[in-house]
Amino acid sequence: MARYLIIALLLFSSSSILAADAPDLEDQTRAVSTDLRCVVCQNLSVADSPSDMAQQMRAIVREQLQAGKTPQEVKDFFVSKYGEWVLLKPATHGFSLLVWVVPFVALLIGLGLGVFFIRRWAAKKRAAPPAAADPKLLARVREEFANAEPEELDLEDPSPRAQLLQERSRLYADLKELEFDYQAGKLSQADYVDLRRDIETKAATVLGNLDEMAVSAARRPQAAKETEVVQPKPGLRGWQVAAGGVFLLIFGLTLGVVLTNSLKPRGGEGDSITGDFLTGTGAPGMGNVAALLQEGKTAFDKQEFSKAIEAFKKVLVAEPNQPEAHSYMGFILMQAGHGDGALMAFDKALTQAPNLPMALWGKGMVLYQEKKDFAGARVVLEKLLQLTPQGPERNEIVKVLAEIPTGNQKPQPTAKAAPPVAASSAQISGRITIDPKLKASVDPNATLFIIARPAAAGGPPLAVKKIDRPTFPLPYSLGAENMMTQGMPFSGKMNIAVRLDKDGNPTTRDAGDLSGDYKKNPVEVGTKNVDVVLDQLAK
Amino acid sequence: MAWRRLIITLAVIAPVLWLLVFGFQRDARYIKTPLIAKQATPFAVTLFDGGKLSLSDLRGKAVFLNFWASWCPPCREEARDLEAAWQKVKDKNLLFLGVALQDTEKDSRAFLEEFKVTYPNGRDESGKVAVDYGTWGIPESFFIDPQGRITYKHVGAIRAALVVSKLEEAAKGIVSAQEGKGDVSPVR
Repeated sequence: MARYLIIALLLFSSSSILAADAPDLEDQTRAVSTDLRCVVCQNLSVADSPSDMAQQMRAIVREQLQAGKTPQEVKDFFVSKYGEWVLLKPATHGFSLLVWVVPFVALLIGLGLGVFFIRRWAAKKRAAPPAAADPKLLARVREEFANAEPEELDLEDPSPRAQLLQERSRLYADLKELEFDYQAGKLSQADYVDLRRDIETKAATVLGNLDEMAVSAARRPQAAKETEVVQPKPGLRGWQVAAGGVFLLIFGLTLGVVLTNSLKPRGGEGDSITGDFLTGTGAPGMGNVAALLQEGKTAFDKQEFSKAIEAFKKVLVAEPNQPEAHSYMGFILMQAGHGDGALMAFDKALTQAPNLPMALWGKGMVLYQEKKDFAGARVVLEKLLQLTPQGPERNEIVKVLAEIPTGNQKPQPTAKAAPPVAASSAQISGRITIDPKLKASVDPNATLFIIARPAAAGGPPLAVKKIDRPTFPLPYSLGAENMMTQGMPFSGKMNIAVRLDKDGNPTTRDAGDLSGDYKKNPVEVGTKNVDVVLDQLAK
Repeated sequence: MAWRRLIITLAVIAPVLWLLVFGFQRDARYIKTPLIAKQATPFAVTLFDGGKLSLSDLRGKAVFLNFWASWCPPCREEARDLEAAWQKVKDKNLLFLGVALQDTEKDSRAFLEEFKVTYPNGRDESGKVAVDYGTWGIPESFFIDPQGRITYKHVGAIRAALVVSKLEEAAKGIVSAQEGKGDVSPVR
């Protein structure tokens, strides 16, 4: 029995020793992960973060521990990949040592300064032992006190002499009170003598000062008042005020400039929220985003592209992935001839909303027209076709798809391929004139833009004609050859607008630019005599 | 006396202001890599075309290594640029390698098809390669010289011209002092 007990004890003890030598791998993994910073979520440890990256990092920690690496070696591995940043507790050597030391040094300096100033303040407060007063003055004090009559003092007078007289009167009152207390038996003989000497000495000093003042006033009667004025007044000195002002200025500039420039608007769930609060640029409410988006669309419809860009940019600051804003930016870039940028914008929109019709349409047309990627364009537009219900829009997509060449064929320019009769009938023509009142405002070097927008859908211009240095009256015609995206049919009802732009840049509206709308908008394609008067002057 | 006080006041205020400016100008999310001028960690990935590619097989060539994911907008932003850069350099002794991370195979393949990517691409299924290269935001691009040393790192979308010039520098063994930064998506 005893033998079994010994064996059991041995087994128990050995298993305990084994357990002590090999702590649970999960515990070790957790301990190491707790000291590592998650690279995705700020200020969370790898152990606490739910992110995919943290999970992968935990798996690596476990794997390396299992392979026999020590916790320190595992941490060193992550430091070799991410730097000291990855450690939640900075190292206690090298530059990182400062992080540990500086707070304590600052605390010590603070305490030292505190002690220094408190001692200095206490030293000032502690009254220096009164110097032995002049016996003559003391005798005068006793005499004046004995014969003291209540005198009327001007308490409002701030002059040094009046202050001294008030002080003298107060000290005599103190002496009187002291006498009374002593007679009433409230004070011991020793205390009475000490206090009386103290008050008398102070009163003697005051009398001495009054005498000096009287002598100097007698010597310089003219300058007496000036002397009083020149007396330094208690309060802040000039340099202190200046230093305070400079500090406040620098502090304000730091907050106002550096802070707002360094903070970024919220870019995603993991971003700091302070940027939004301090810059006011980030995350306006949903209503504000909708309002900005609408503002951008309205500006876009009016061809005020710089205003539209500004509004869409604000939307994208608040919601970096807002698909409609990206799509509109794509159309603007497309119009400006930046195919690559437009494609990028449509791609961003489609990342968020893969079935957004306007982004699919824009991307399809860029691939078709700009990039000559017919297969790509076909894929995108076929997807759009599947999403579009029966109607004129679907018909247009079908038409464009039919026009896209197969293989590496060059695209057929629709307008030229169309029968001449159809081409001539698919036009809007008329005459452009200047309002006589604005004739003086015409810049001979300006550029004229004749713009047609679909009346029903609004949105981007369908066709634009550009004429440099026009002379008025100017006959014009707008047809399929002026389509923004070649291959689209020029049909249906249009709104016609004209703009005479001084700098030739349709994306900006500057002072001095002239514009005008056809008064009977909308007009059917094929209409003639669509005369437009340039009658609006931008200020 | 006044000057002494002024100097003491400024001596107290200046470090506090410096700390304030330093703190606000730092991007707390940004992790500066310690890997530049260090040897690139060797790894092997299975390519989407079924083949295998090991970094050690590429010794003697300058390599452009790009980490990406189909869900990351800046990756889409740079995809065409990368392919354009590849078309420019593919006949030289330079190699591109894309590594998809935190992505499904289906989505990665769709991405490659959408952007008509022709250079070799593989998947980092376990995330180990990403950690080996200290990735924290994608896309991240590394330029490795023929001796296997990392010469430049770019976090965020990168343009074709920069890819070509940095790859040419890598081919000559020129190490950049600073890493580059563009639009970036934090990894998940």
